[in-house]
Amino acid sequence: MPKLLACYKWTLNEQDIKINPADLSLDSSRAKGKISDFDRNAIEEASLIVEKQGGTVDALSYGTPAVKQSLKDALSRGPNKVYWVGDASAENADAFVTANVLAAAIRKIGSYDFIFCGEGSTDMFYQQTGPRLAQLLGLPCISYVEKLEIEGDVLKATRKLGDCLEQVNVKAPAVVSVLSEINKPRIPTLKQVLGAAKKPNEEIKVSDLGLTPAQLSPKAVRKGARGFVMNRKNVIYKESDASANVAKLAASLAAEGLR
Amino acid sequence: MSIYLTEEQELIGKNAQGFAKENLDPIVVELDHTGNYPADVVKKMAEQDFMGLFLPAEFGGAEAGYVSFVEVIENLSRSCPAAASIVVNHSLAVYAIQRWGTAAQKKEYLPSLASGKTLGAFAIFENGPTPGVGPDALMAVKKAEGWVLNGTKTYVRNAGKADVYVVLACSDPAAGAKALTAFIVSSKAAGLTVGEPKETMGLKGCPVADLNFENVMLAETAVLGAVTEGPELVAETLAVAAIAEAAQTVGIGQAAVEHAAAYSKSRVQFGRPIATLQAIQTLLAETATDCHMARLGIRYAAELLDNGEPFQVEAAMVKQFLARLHSKMLLDTVQVEGGFGYSEFMPLPRLFRDIAGTTLLDAPADFPDKTIAAALLA
Repeated sequence: MPKLLACYKWTLNEQDIKINPADLSLDSSRAKGKISDFDRNAIEEASLIVEKQGGTVDALSYGTPAVKQSLKDALSRGPNKVYWVGDASAENADAFVTANVLAAAIRKIGSYDFIFCGEGSTDMFYQQTGPRLAQLLGLPCISYVEKLEIEGDVLKATRKLGDCLEQVNVKAPAVVSVLSEINKPRIPTLKQVLGAAKKPNEEIKVSDLGLTPAQLSPKAVRKGARGFVMNRKNVIYKESDASANVAKLAASLAAEGLR
Repeated sequence: MSIYLTEEQELIGKNAQGFAKENLDPIVVELDHTGNYPADVVKKMAEQDFMGLFLPAEFGGAEAGYVSFVEVIENLSRSCPAAASIVVNHSLAVYAIQRWGTAAQKKEYLPSLASGKTLGAFAIFENGPTPGVGPDALMAVKKAEGWVLNGTKTYVRNAGKADVYVVLACSDPAAGAKALTAFIVSSKAAGLTVGEPKETMGLKGCPVADLNFENVMLAETAVLGAVTEGPELVAETLAVAAIAEAAQTVGIGQAAVEHAAAYSKSRVQFGRPIATLQAIQTLLAETATDCHMARLGIRYAAELLDNGEPFQVEAAMVKQFLARLHSKMLLDTVQVEGGFGYSEFMPLPRLFRDIAGTTLLDAPADFPDKTIAAALLA
């Protein structure tokens, strides 16, 4: 029976982030956290497999100390146990740092047959954590997975590529990153939410992972973020002849590169 | 008393909101037009454990408590207040049975009510001025083999769909409303019929009808609580109703103010979004504040209930507060949206009809004032 791990990121709920109209700066002071969208699919898929065919699923997250707020949400979605690394270094972490921390944490926890990740995070969407994690652990990585099943120690995945579907089989152990099409994440029932408090969680300190300062220094540094606001152009074509208005509109769209 | 929700309570509210967006938003307009009972949605709500939310685990409940209950009700009401009404009325029957039921009654009824296998309803109203007084008042007459019930309960929500009714009947004609006795009545009881569905102003989809009793024979074991305990049972259960329905009112007010706020940002007049006008901001700010203050009062009353403390005065206060403000919430938000907001293709007219139901139902208009004044003047 498979031993699975689902990795997830605790991100800000983008719907709570406000754009300050004066300077387009982002105000996240009242934003609440959520499990990143694709990572919910990863947890759901691992949980569905275990609920259907047995085995175990654990969850693992690396984030700022606020990641502690995610534990019950994660556990209510199926995992038996959650491991969490809450550290200020996550504030500026890129996929390089995240993968370093997750890989070190997994080595510390133990081995898994399959490690599930979301294809990309809701906030950054680097789409690198899964592949980097696989590289660090020396495992194959199957990305863009929209369907999968596990038979024995083989995971059969359907990958959604640009213009085709690819069928891939991989033997455990491996890392898999999933797309949102793979399932519809559950809305945990009240009993699942309240049951989460009875499941174990374990904190892992970054200082216990044996990582060097270089491994905790991001390669990509975000210099800033600003909101994007599409302003109306407020152009009204007032010719009495409708076809002249249409011609002007078409010319205007063409001038903006729309063909 | 904690002023903050626990992690679980917050998660339960958030999940209820997600559930409502996914399952209730798509049906709410059709429900308002047809008034058809949303059986599929009720089943899904049961799967989320909403039907046995505050019941102990030994009866299959989620043991989530009353603060979670009001969180769920508010969030369901933000999307579809009628669906929330079905849960509320079911929950009143559940509350009465778990509070006053014998061990045997609890064992018989609560597990299936908690799982949603059966639906409950709480029947108190009659056509006369108070229960036990009018010409068709529901009268219970004691016989050697049990009780015989004759008469009519009116305006029973969940009527026709419920399997288990908690019914108040007058067991002493001379004493009238002072001699109410509660009974647990199966929908299959011989002589019990459901009247024609009553069309209501709002909350459409939550069925409403009369229950007609014609020589309905009940065993002694159908009595809920002591024979003389009816008035107390009614007062306490209606106080629970007041809290739950206040949560509905706040859910509707919150939905209205969020819709109006979004509208005000997109509606351009005088060359700028109307959201930039102070008159609009005042209407939005007052409604949001009313919702927030009411929500705190509701949570406080619910927490008293969770802690087993007296809660009826605080329940009456939230009822009283919202009875004054509910129509203002909707008048003000419709005002923000102007002529568009008044149109039936926008949600505010429906919310207007729904919010009226949440403050009118389940308690006489003077209930809150009487309760609050009695506590003050004692």
